[in-house]
Amino acid sequence: MTLAAAMADPFVERAPPLLRVAGLAKRYGEQHALAGISFDVHAGEVLGLIGPNGAGKTTLLEALAGLIPVDAGELMWRGAPSTSAERRDVLFYLPDGLRPWDDELVLRVLAFFATVHGRTQHEVAETIDSVGLAPVLRKRVHTLSKGFARRLMLALALLTPQPLLLMDEPFDGFDLRQTRDVMALIRRVAASGRTLVLAIHQLGDAERVCDRFVLLADGAVRGTGTLDQLRAQTKLQSASLESASLEDVFLALT
Amino acid sequence: MRSPDVIAERRTPLRPLLMKELRGILNGRALWTMLLIMCPIVGFSFFQALSLYGEASASASDQAALASGLSPLDGIFVPTFGAFYVTVTLLFPFVAIRALGREKETGTLRLLVQLPYRTRTLIIAKAAAVAGAWLIALIPAVSALLLWRMLGGHLHALETLNLLLGHLLYGLLIGAVALFAAAITESAATAAIVTLAVTIGSWILDFALAGQPGLAEWVSRLSLTQTLRPFEQGQFSLGLVLGTLAAIVGLAELATLWLHSGVVVRAKLVRSLACAAITGALVLLVAQLRTSIDVTEDRRNSFPAADQRALAALREPLVITVHLAPEDPRYVDLRRNVLSKLERVLPDVTIRLVASQSFIGRSGDDSYGEVEYAYAGRTDKSRSTSHREILPLLYGLAQMPLPTPIAGEDYPGYPLVANAALVLPWFFGALPLLIALAWWLSRRAPGISVANLPRR
Repeated sequence: MTLAAAMADPFVERAPPLLRVAGLAKRYGEQHALAGISFDVHAGEVLGLIGPNGAGKTTLLEALAGLIPVDAGELMWRGAPSTSAERRDVLFYLPDGLRPWDDELVLRVLAFFATVHGRTQHEVAETIDSVGLAPVLRKRVHTLSKGFARRLMLALALLTPQPLLLMDEPFDGFDLRQTRDVMALIRRVAASGRTLVLAIHQLGDAERVCDRFVLLADGAVRGTGTLDQLRAQTKLQSASLESASLEDVFLALT
Repeated sequence: MRSPDVIAERRTPLRPLLMKELRGILNGRALWTMLLIMCPIVGFSFFQALSLYGEASASASDQAALASGLSPLDGIFVPTFGAFYVTVTLLFPFVAIRALGREKETGTLRLLVQLPYRTRTLIIAKAAAVAGAWLIALIPAVSALLLWRMLGGHLHALETLNLLLGHLLYGLLIGAVALFAAAITESAATAAIVTLAVTIGSWILDFALAGQPGLAEWVSRLSLTQTLRPFEQGQFSLGLVLGTLAAIVGLAELATLWLHSGVVVRAKLVRSLACAAITGALVLLVAQLRTSIDVTEDRRNSFPAADQRALAALREPLVITVHLAPEDPRYVDLRRNVLSKLERVLPDVTIRLVASQSFIGRSGDDSYGEVEYAYAGRTDKSRSTSHREILPLLYGLAQMPLPTPIAGEDYPGYPLVANAALVLPWFFGALPLLIALAWWLSRRAPGISVANLPRR
């Protein structure tokens, strides 16, 4: 059964989602960064948070990870209310553009994460291999190129045991071939049972890797669902959107 | 890849966190730069102390009375560690701030707080790394002690350890201020400004307000520098040690509160106020502890041994009424020579300061300058600030004979005319080179591989 079919399955609809976000709001002064955001994340899916720069994607991810306080809203983990401290055990957030512990050797950073999370040598070696970090293991993090710094972050995420991964712009800094490799890796991670929420502003990338989408604009949700479901929402406005790309759908809905 | 599941609460190893924190400090330039700057400063101070001590020793070589005044604590250790103190005050904040400020500035803190450690554990690990950095910073000063021994100098273990304890507490206090500053500010530069404002502000308090009457005198006691003074005088004050520890823990707890993610600023402020109030109350409470031990070899903070034994036998309360203003130099002398020693040896002594206003313009007050001693229903007065006159007065009040001096208890003094030829080359050449070599070695990528990682 494909994920899209599973989504339509009445059993799946009745089962509590892995994470339910209800009415999440965050204000910076008079500006509404998040205005009543609500959506569900289902186990094993790759969910894309889609929106232009400034849409509220990073704020939303940081709020989900409990890194910033919110003004209103509730988060439910498998149907039960979840505090930010509790969520630390079930989800891990990978910020955008980070060079973690930039004075440290790459292998030392990996070893730190691996030891903290009780990973074996085999698991670390497998992770290094899967993201292609082997050539830079003895380099300091601040000397890495943008692409390798991104791979290091990806490797750290893979070493964490949390079932839900939140990634901010995971393809930023990769060329076309590398992007395809990382997409394949993300699909393998999802196939192994982990759930991923990816904040992406490149709609082409999002369309290729995500199962479902949450369209964000100006801190508000403008549509949720699979691409077909989103097309169905836009069909009311224009019949020409029947075979539209995610980009067309996004422009139509926002 | 391991199959995912909700993580059960489990024990996360502390060692990798501690090692990461220590490596974080070693990887930065701040510690090494501070060490390199510290070498000539501590070294020159040690060299000067050695020269002056040598000159004084040469004059005292055939006069026992002069020799007994030569104590390595005053002559060598306090000035040498004084240079260490200046460097710690001005440069150690940059080392300590790095423990937290760098992660905040680069955003790495957002990863760190998601690891399965409590926020308090993160701060404890950072404080431990700061303490480790302080130990490394001690190298130039400790090398001065070793040189002193190699030159044939005398070193009294207890008073030296007490001095080191004082500097450790002061260093940790500076470190705790720096961690708190790093927790409440967004950049390491701002944290440095906040910390230096506290440390240099302390100096200003110390210089500008000490000796002033009333509130100014009380405010001057808040100076961080005051933490060190009793240790330099060879006193181990339990109240001061516990009070400083309470302040360190309080500041670390405040840093923890401000590191909590997902908490609104108003809630952090309320919790911080409660934490500051509890810490302040604890500091005031332990400051009431009067237990103070004279750890000096020359017993400068105590009366002669025979008097100590005789006074310890006085069981009745002694009430001393002092008609002097606290800023009056006579009161300062009286406190140093008599009152503080009496407080240490007598089980029940009460000191009342009657003149609370400035001593300037008090020439018309006949009783000004008098000190009244009341013991067992008898009273006597004196204007002396010397124990040689006051102790016989107290024995008279207690109706007990003057104690017989104990022979051979005199401090001999440790004069030394040392050849200091090696001192400057060591501190200006060899030691900085060794430190630079250690820095270079720490920057080299070690031969580590995945095979070096723990198997489980």
